[in-house]
Amino acid sequence: MKLPVICPEGECCCGNKGCAPGKGLPKVVLIGNPNVGKSSLFNALSGSYTLVSNYPGTSVEISRGKTRIREREYEVIDTPGMYSLLPVSEEERVSQLLVFEEEPLVYLHVLDARNLRRMLSFTLQLLEAGLPLILVLNMMDEAEERGIEIDIPELSRILGIPVIGTVSSEGKGVEDLKTAISEYNSEYYALSIKKFQKLDYGIETEPYIEAVESLLGHAKETGISKRAISLLLLQEDRTALEYLPGAEKSPEYGRAGNGKNYEEILKLIEEASKLSAVPLSYFFTLKRQESVNGIVEQVMEIPERMERENRVRAAVTLTGKGSWKKGHSACTGQEKVKPEKETKHAGPGKKKRTQQRNIDFSEKIDNILIHPVLGIPVLFLVLYFGLYQFVGVFAAGTVVDLLENTVFGEYINPLVTSLFESFVPYPALQDLFVGEYGIFTQAVTYAIALILPIVGAFFLVFSIIEDTGYLPRLSLLLDSMFKKIGLSGRAVIPMVLGFGCSTMATMVTRTLETKRERLIANVLLALAIPCSAQLGIILSILSGNPKALPIWAGVIVLEFILIGYLASRILPGEAPTFILEMPPLRRPKLSNILVKTYSRMHWYFLEVLPLFVVASILIWIGRLTGIFDLALKVMEYPTVWIGLPPNAADVFLFGFFRRDFGAAGLYGMYDSGLLTGLQLVVAAVTLTLFMPCIAQFMMTVKERGLKTALVISGFIFPFAFLTGFIVNTLLTALGVSL
Amino acid sequence: MLMESSHLALKTTTLCAMEPRKTGKISHLETKNPGILQKLVSMGILPGMPVTLLRRSPSYLFEVDQTRYAVDREIANHIYVSY
Repeated sequence: MKLPVICPEGECCCGNKGCAPGKGLPKVVLIGNPNVGKSSLFNALSGSYTLVSNYPGTSVEISRGKTRIREREYEVIDTPGMYSLLPVSEEERVSQLLVFEEEPLVYLHVLDARNLRRMLSFTLQLLEAGLPLILVLNMMDEAEERGIEIDIPELSRILGIPVIGTVSSEGKGVEDLKTAISEYNSEYYALSIKKFQKLDYGIETEPYIEAVESLLGHAKETGISKRAISLLLLQEDRTALEYLPGAEKSPEYGRAGNGKNYEEILKLIEEASKLSAVPLSYFFTLKRQESVNGIVEQVMEIPERMERENRVRAAVTLTGKGSWKKGHSACTGQEKVKPEKETKHAGPGKKKRTQQRNIDFSEKIDNILIHPVLGIPVLFLVLYFGLYQFVGVFAAGTVVDLLENTVFGEYINPLVTSLFESFVPYPALQDLFVGEYGIFTQAVTYAIALILPIVGAFFLVFSIIEDTGYLPRLSLLLDSMFKKIGLSGRAVIPMVLGFGCSTMATMVTRTLETKRERLIANVLLALAIPCSAQLGIILSILSGNPKALPIWAGVIVLEFILIGYLASRILPGEAPTFILEMPPLRRPKLSNILVKTYSRMHWYFLEVLPLFVVASILIWIGRLTGIFDLALKVMEYPTVWIGLPPNAADVFLFGFFRRDFGAAGLYGMYDSGLLTGLQLVVAAVTLTLFMPCIAQFMMTVKERGLKTALVISGFIFPFAFLTGFIVNTLLTALGVSL
Repeated sequence: MLMESSHLALKTTTLCAMEPRKTGKISHLETKNPGILQKLVSMGILPGMPVTLLRRSPSYLFEVDQTRYAVDREIANHIYVSY
């Protein structure tokens, strides 16, 4: 993944062919484990904004920005989190490819200070790869809160690279970091970090590492050292294998010499893996950890209090005062842990005592959120107040009603229409701009008065939920239920994101580990997860009727479960496994919530408005040529088939464009009182299941390929109407009056 | 004497059979699936690390060193602890 060059101001060659490589801005690349604050630091460094949340896997793409330090410009690059140079999931591979291809001025390895012992292993790996490196210990405040002390100068001395402590969310230490970047001298540090370029992996494996390394003579140039590539090859890394000459299909690499090397390397890899009792990736990591432990012992102090606490816990258990059942050894997963009473400690100082109280408090909340019984009502409370009351009733009801009917309906639209009609006397043009489907009266009104308040409200609630760290907890809570539909708890995050915008969520399915899981998640996102605008409108339309909403929700949930279950039965492949890092609960920062909500609304609006305008124009052309009426006639068949009046056909025609556009059309019909309660439910169900919007379709093509995307859509279209038909028939037969 | 008895009491089980709220050490990882193994070690779940099981339901929640992880039973069965 070679990124295009960004040139310094004033000397831009803007894509000219003569642009010399390496003439771009010096690059600073943020790299590190998921959820350590890379994006937050990126924002602090570059002054641009990329989404920051409290769960691993927020960033699944590379973000780029610029910064100026002491009159010199730099390009700052944010990457998706990765645990090591050997990727497990797709978004990690995105970062790995960048490391292979790019040659930045310096990498900033960002880690969570509290977890130095765990994350330093990756630092050693990066040093081993010969990368220019600054180590950033982020979240120093949280480490301090837990009384952890780190000797930063000593760590810097041992590693031979600059080490900076920061609190990126508050901008602390960012100036020091900027200074370190501007003073970074790769030649100076290259000399001092030599010792880590050759960690000893023992006499059994070293010969293999060296043998593979020596065969790499003609390999393509990559950004990382040959020894690191050799190590990756021995761990059978896909990317490293692809970089081998001979793995390429081009004839240039078909030469005998290289081909022979390739074969030989493969042979060495096989031999080495046979010789080792454990997989080599396991072996290498353990060896690296030994070096890490040696370093951490010298520089990090975890307070005795915690150790004492642990000892107290252990002692309580040994004397049998614990409240859990004794002697269970079966792994049924059914036993419940009874929360132990918190042991009280007399902290040495007042500050420490407050900190301890804070930790205890968030621990208590945490215990409720993930409690197998209490967690469910909490989830429903969040859904009821956050989604139903705030987004559905308040934003999509009160606010939209005010904006759409009063502000736009009574003041702005009549004014614009009369003005336009008095200046432009041509009926055809009048129709285009201020007619029934006009650019202003429909596209702009829908976008501003209908969609914007709903998605705004949703993103606001959503940002708060994201920043507390509730989503990973929801994953934990729902994992066993998701397993039944072939997904792991990890998939909860893209599914919940899907309620915001399925397009974004489709991209986030990258964080899922198997292809099978990603496919099931994509199908369910396209089928059963309504996007925020659609959801808000449907909630608002159905909220007036106490029976309608549960019926709609019931049908959609059933559909979600049914299709997920069938997909997990039909699709080949292993059942998913669940493993997720659980970040601490954090108090959301108002500034981040506001900026994030704004940035998402901004993005959504820019995405939605042009498409709405295009839809208006297409409809206008369609009406002039008669195609629109023809399409309406065709759509009328399935529409009437599911028991709706023929003029509801345009709702579905809109739905082809975007889900929210279709929902907006439905809102229009509801507003004019054209549909009965039963018809509203049927239309809402069909529209929710109906086609994914164009943007989501394109994203599915990008992530899964055209064929899969077409198959998914080809399945959904008839299926949505079939469900609408069944719901209509059942409700009518049962004589349900709504 | 005391040392000896506590040493004798040291037992090794899988994480999911571990008694909750007790602190032990990860003794080893055992899985035939190289993907799972790689994931575990890259996330820092390594032999020798201190481990505390916090919760078994709705999923397994445990703490290794300073980090918490949620896993399902399948994974918890691959992690062996001694305490």
